[in-house]
Amino acid sequence: MSTHYSKAGYWFIAPAIILMVLILIAPVLIAAGLSFTDFSLGSKSFSWVGFENYAKLASRSTYTKMLWASATYVLIVVPVSIGLGLGAALLINSVKRFGDVYKTIYFLPVMAALLAMAIVWEFSLHPTIGIVNKTLASGCGTWVEALFSWGWLPWVDGAQSWYTTGCTDGFPLWFGDKKYTMWTICFIGIWQGFGFNMVLYLAGLTSVPRELYHAAEMDGAVSGWDQFRLVTWPMLGPTTVFVVTISTIRSFQVFDTVEAITQGGPSKSTYVMMYAIFEKGVKQNLIGMGSAITVAFMAFVLILTLVQRHLIERKVHYA
Amino acid sequence: MIGQSFPFREAFKHAVLIIGALIVILPFYVMTSYSLKSQSEITTNTGGFFGAQEKGVDEYCVKLGNPRSACEETPAIFNYTQAFKKAPLLRYLLNGVIVTASIFLIQVVIALPCAYALSKLRFWGRDAVFGLVMFCLLIPVHAIALPIYIMLSKLGLTNTYASLIIPWTISVFGIFLMRQFFMTVPDDLIDAARMDGMSEFSIIWKVMLPTAIPALLAFAIFSVVAHWNDYFWPRFAITGMRDLYTPPLGLREFRGGSDGSDWGPMMATATIIVTPLIVAFLLAQKRFIEGITLTGMK
Repeated sequence: MSTHYSKAGYWFIAPAIILMVLILIAPVLIAAGLSFTDFSLGSKSFSWVGFENYAKLASRSTYTKMLWASATYVLIVVPVSIGLGLGAALLINSVKRFGDVYKTIYFLPVMAALLAMAIVWEFSLHPTIGIVNKTLASGCGTWVEALFSWGWLPWVDGAQSWYTTGCTDGFPLWFGDKKYTMWTICFIGIWQGFGFNMVLYLAGLTSVPRELYHAAEMDGAVSGWDQFRLVTWPMLGPTTVFVVTISTIRSFQVFDTVEAITQGGPSKSTYVMMYAIFEKGVKQNLIGMGSAITVAFMAFVLILTLVQRHLIERKVHYA
Repeated sequence: MIGQSFPFREAFKHAVLIIGALIVILPFYVMTSYSLKSQSEITTNTGGFFGAQEKGVDEYCVKLGNPRSACEETPAIFNYTQAFKKAPLLRYLLNGVIVTASIFLIQVVIALPCAYALSKLRFWGRDAVFGLVMFCLLIPVHAIALPIYIMLSKLGLTNTYASLIIPWTISVFGIFLMRQFFMTVPDDLIDAARMDGMSEFSIIWKVMLPTAIPALLAFAIFSVVAHWNDYFWPRFAITGMRDLYTPPLGLREFRGGSDGSDWGPMMATATIIVTPLIVAFLLAQKRFIEGITLTGMK
């Protein structure tokens, strides 16, 4: 550490401090303040409404649906994209050839503008002319239907199966049918994000010492599952803590797919928090309400980050 | 390990990975393929990847009074020229470049001196400033978009380049990253520069900057990818000024009908927007993965 004392330091940090205060700290305070008002842009006056906005947040069905939608999205996307990321990393790490090719392909969605890909998915999943439903429909009446109706399994009634029903009644309206929309939006989120988790896990895997596997083998952990359970998974602990936090925060922030495809619908089933902030605050100019959602959102993120820091610090002690 | 003539396990792993790869690639395939095909080939799902490329007549062009023969075009060329004609795509791309480049440059200009002061200079209050940086790392900029939007519109700055750039000018993550990097730079290097009579200011740009190129490159990739692809903030900041649309905003406006009309030109637009980063990624994969996963340190 240099022991150079210099007044110049103040000049160097001043711009950064001013911007931090103006762009990061002030907005947090402003959001907190406005969440107790009925402020809207353009109107001359506003009044303090106390906890009214928060009371609405907790009671109105729109907002309970919003919290439910965000929670559903996070609870589906985070575990699945982490599971797939870890699975892909383990597979890629264990194949003898072409590992890098798969890695490159799986990382592509992370690089592509999500909004553009959301629109492409919307087209691909178009109910009548989209490539997915067209392809599904082209399998009807052929061996594909016979296979995927699972009717050849003795305990399955093929006529009732998802595929056969789709063939007779039409395949789903992926973004129009309340039963499917959230799942489809989640699917796009998983599609986009699991490559990112995979890369982090691949980096984590390179840091697992080879000797540990030999040692585990000596102790009788011979099967792949035992080695994973006793060596790989514990050694990936810090990576997992990190991947879980960042995936959760990113999932909470989902916006592009919802705004471009569903606008929160049908019947608020995909009305996630980020979209609600945009709709209430910008489109409808209900800034008090938008601010209350903002504050709730920040609280979630803060709790998550603090939990992560706590877990990481605990890990450090026995690493 | 087990003396099998055919490596079933290996083949099974590849089968799983290939199925995954096909699903991942599907939308990229659809996007490029549709951008090359004619309207009718898209709606009927025929023509394979490239389409038949039979010349079609642009009815709009005929309506303008041009002879039919002059309005014939192969679908691929039609889609891509339409992408630029129907909307000012070139302008959008230029806006994207201006905004992305400005954000990165300002971030560096603000973050480098701060990081240098925090790592190599001693002054009263330094630890408090670093504490402030660590605290600000907790604040996700997406979360405070609404109050920033209110501040900017009170200042009359919405629908300007400034509104697209200002919220991102301070990258606490950038400060943190560069500080960690500068900590590893030996003090002797800086002391030697001081002996030569260099000012602290020129030490930052002539000594520290060159040593920081690798970290800066990773940060550049991180920053450029995030802001070129960003749709969320521009959606707040730009409400009606088409001239200021960034590429994702432009694409959002340029939406084909649900009956499949204009899908070709629209997919051409999407392809044009997505391609630069994908190509850059394929050319420098290692650096990109490094840059994107930098968030890993957050």
